Amino acid sequence: MVVGFAIVAAWELVTAVGVVAFRKPMYNALSLVANMLGLAVLFLMLNAQFLFAAQIIVYAGAVMVLFVFIIALMNPETDISFRPRGTEWIYGVVFGVVFAALLGGLLFNRGLTGRTGAFTPEVIAAAGNVQTIGIALYTRFLFPVEVTSVLLLVAAVGAVYLAMRRIR
Amino acid sequence: MPVPAYSFLLLSGVVFTLGAIGFMVRRNPLVVFMCIELMLNAVNLAFAAMSRYLNSLDGVVFAFLVITVAAAEVVVGIAIIVQVYRAGRQMDVDELDLMKD
Amino acid sequence: MDILAPLVLLTPLAGFLVNALFGRLLPRRVVGWVGAGSIGLAFLFALLIFSQVLGGQKLDQSYFTWWQSGDFNVPFNLYVDALSTLMILVITGVGFLIHVYSIGYMREDSGYSRFFAYMNLFVFSMLLLVLSGNLVWLIIGWAGVGLCSYLLIGFWFERTSAVLAARKAFVMNTIGDVGMVFAAFLIFLNLRVLDFQGLFGRVHQLPRGGTVITAICLLLLVGALAKSAQLPLQTWLPDAMEGPTPVSALIHAATMVTAGVYLVARMHLLYDWAPTAAATVAVIGGVTAFYAATIGTAQVDIKRILAYSTMSQIGYMFLAVGIGAYTAGMFHFMTHAFFKALLFLAAGNVIHAFHEDQDIRHMGNVRAGLPITFWTFLIGTLSISGFPLFAGFFSKDEIIRAALSAAGSEFWLGLLALITAGLTAYYMFRLFFIAFGWEWLAHDDRHLHEALPVQTIPIVILAAGAVVGGYIPVASFLTPVFGRAVEVGTGAFIGLAALSVWVALVGFALAYLLHARRPELAVAWRTRLGPIHTLVEHKYYIDELYDRVFVRPGLALARFLNEVVEPRVIDGAVNAVADFTLLEAREFRLLQTGRVRSYALVTLGGAVGVLLIVIWYLGYLPWRSGA
Repeated sequence: MVVGFAIVAAWELVTAVGVVAFRKPMYNALSLVANMLGLAVLFLMLNAQFLFAAQIIVYAGAVMVLFVFIIALMNPETDISFRPRGTEWIYGVVFGVVFAALLGGLLFNRGLTGRTGAFTPEVIAAAGNVQTIGIALYTRFLFPVEVTSVLLLVAAVGAVYLAMRRIR
Repeated sequence: MPVPAYSFLLLSGVVFTLGAIGFMVRRNPLVVFMCIELMLNAVNLAFAAMSRYLNSLDGVVFAFLVITVAAAEVVVGIAIIVQVYRAGRQMDVDELDLMKD
Repeated sequence: MDILAPLVLLTPLAGFLVNALFGRLLPRRVVGWVGAGSIGLAFLFALLIFSQVLGGQKLDQSYFTWWQSGDFNVPFNLYVDALSTLMILVITGVGFLIHVYSIGYMREDSGYSRFFAYMNLFVFSMLLLVLSGNLVWLIIGWAGVGLCSYLLIGFWFERTSAVLAARKAFVMNTIGDVGMVFAAFLIFLNLRVLDFQGLFGRVHQLPRGGTVITAICLLLLVGALAKSAQLPLQTWLPDAMEGPTPVSALIHAATMVTAGVYLVARMHLLYDWAPTAAATVAVIGGVTAFYAATIGTAQVDIKRILAYSTMSQIGYMFLAVGIGAYTAGMFHFMTHAFFKALLFLAAGNVIHAFHEDQDIRHMGNVRAGLPITFWTFLIGTLSISGFPLFAGFFSKDEIIRAALSAAGSEFWLGLLALITAGLTAYYMFRLFFIAFGWEWLAHDDRHLHEALPVQTIPIVILAAGAVVGGYIPVASFLTPVFGRAVEVGTGAFIGLAALSVWVALVGFALAYLLHARRPELAVAWRTRLGPIHTLVEHKYYIDELYDRVFVRPGLALARFLNEVVEPRVIDGAVNAVADFTLLEAREFRLLQTGRVRSYALVTLGGAVGVLLIVIWYLGYLPWRSGA
């Protein structure tokens, strides 16, 4: 298990760097797809089977496909040079490193806190992962679900409107 | 679970930081978008990990909602970027400063 | 009586309301008779009150609570005793006659209804002043008469001189009002009452002649001086002659200017308890009487001469109440109201006859054209000069007698008053001879017409009063208020009477000689006494002094505040706030670059900040504890 985790973690890191670093946007997109698949495996390891499926179907399967299509549409070869203009990238890197260090330090010394809930893997397995999450969505998390559906509606309307706009 | 919780969280943090750096450094709007997705994914990982280690369903549900919202966001964002492309403007976030005062 | 008293107040108020609201719509006759009739009705009510007071009744009635906060309680209450009865009789009686006169005098004026409205409002305020039972309502009435004085002096408001005179009167009045209000503060602070009954009961709690009571009396005196045009607040009265003649008669002769005397008389218990203040009253009164009389000898405007005469006679009244001879002072108030109103109204007839020319050197030979006016004016002059058997003789004589028979420094004031009496006779007869013209002067072909009966009948009635008024037993009527007057022996009585008659005759003779018989002597003496004459003619240059000392610095200060402080400091502060806001806005706008990356930078920076705070709050930093 630990070995498996180590491999997947390495895969994650490499592909993440790939998303950031490649010059051609198509390569960035493909790296991101790979990253998401690795993440799905991690979800499986964490006993979140539903999330595993959702990640592959929705995220890697729909969102990334959209990305790839758009990149293919918009002349994937041309890209501005990676040479950054201005000095902001230094700030970005510095901030990022600081951020990471702080996060790490926090993690290492604080340990785990949080209230332990009732849903141990055995309990979930007894009812089935999808069923459990389904019940939770429609009882405890009903309000967020409804709000999210409104959000999707708004996004759909917005996308249609934007696509229909005539460019001058 | 032999793998300690903080490993997952550490991984999540590193990927998130990579995404943040990429977001600030890259100039192609599509790549910037992808870095945002990277960050969201990292957060989902953290949620799922804590959900497992605290025997709770909250994290997983929330991660699922994040996926949904990310999908909606990508749709609208891509639509805008496509419009920018069709208007003939440069695909460079530094140039796209029409929202300035 | 508790219904009659408010009725006396309400009838003039009703007259004011009718004429103010509907005056322009009503025909002139109605306006005039409503105005006069309301005062006449008030006079009838006053007579009824008088009959009750004669029987020994008094009134101190509270009608409703006007203002109450904590233990500060001011009701609307009216106080009727012999003193206030005398006042309301004179105010409504003489006021009624003057209103009737005005029906004729003002008939050609376009502001006819406005005039009667203001006059009624004035009578209402004056009655409120004298009938009030506490200091607050007295001050309200005080302010009301000041307002009406302003409105009526500036009645012909298109005239700059009238407007300036009104403003001057109002400013000086306000100085007096401030004094009154401060006196009220002191009274309330020390005695916690403001109504007369309570006040008179508690006065003796203060130390006699102490700082507090003296301060109170002096502050009240400031108000009285302003209202009664005594030194040093006297400069407004001659200028107040800009108003129509009936106004001068009513307000600046018979009633408002005597409010100061009433105040001191009403507060006599306080003044008895503060001898220094009372002495100040007497000294100011005596000095003003002399001062005004000297100025009167050199003036050529008929109304101004009468104005200075008023100032002088009120000085007599102040002298009287200052030395404690309250009944003498009030007696002189009553007789003065008769003959001064008479003199002013008759002068009004003459002014009208000479087509609004008020210079006495342009007048003359009046007897043929205006016989009634001529004879009544003569009666008034005789009365004011103190000729025996006329009213003025009795009242003025009482004052001089009281002063001369008193111990100490009052004697000198009495002497001054005696000399002033001689001066009074002189300048009044000078006026008479020059303006009314003995038959052998002023061969004039102008055809002069006597005034309307509505103007002459009131004057005749007043003349009757100026003759027989001296026989009214005012002193015994006022005994319940002031106590018995001091009696003098018969010998002293006759001696002093003879002295004052002699002085008056000297004045008359001098005037006759210089202005009737040998006018060229007058001219010669004027050049001989050149500088003195100029000094007196220019009223001792006090107006110019006040202008230099008070008016010009005040204007300069106002100009400074307006041109320097206002734009720079006040506007500057407001503008600075606006400028500061704009400055900050301009700087904050720089944040809105429109570039995604700078926004991202800021966001990440914020996230780092949050993390730092969380770590800090949790109490450790990574490099301190072990990993």
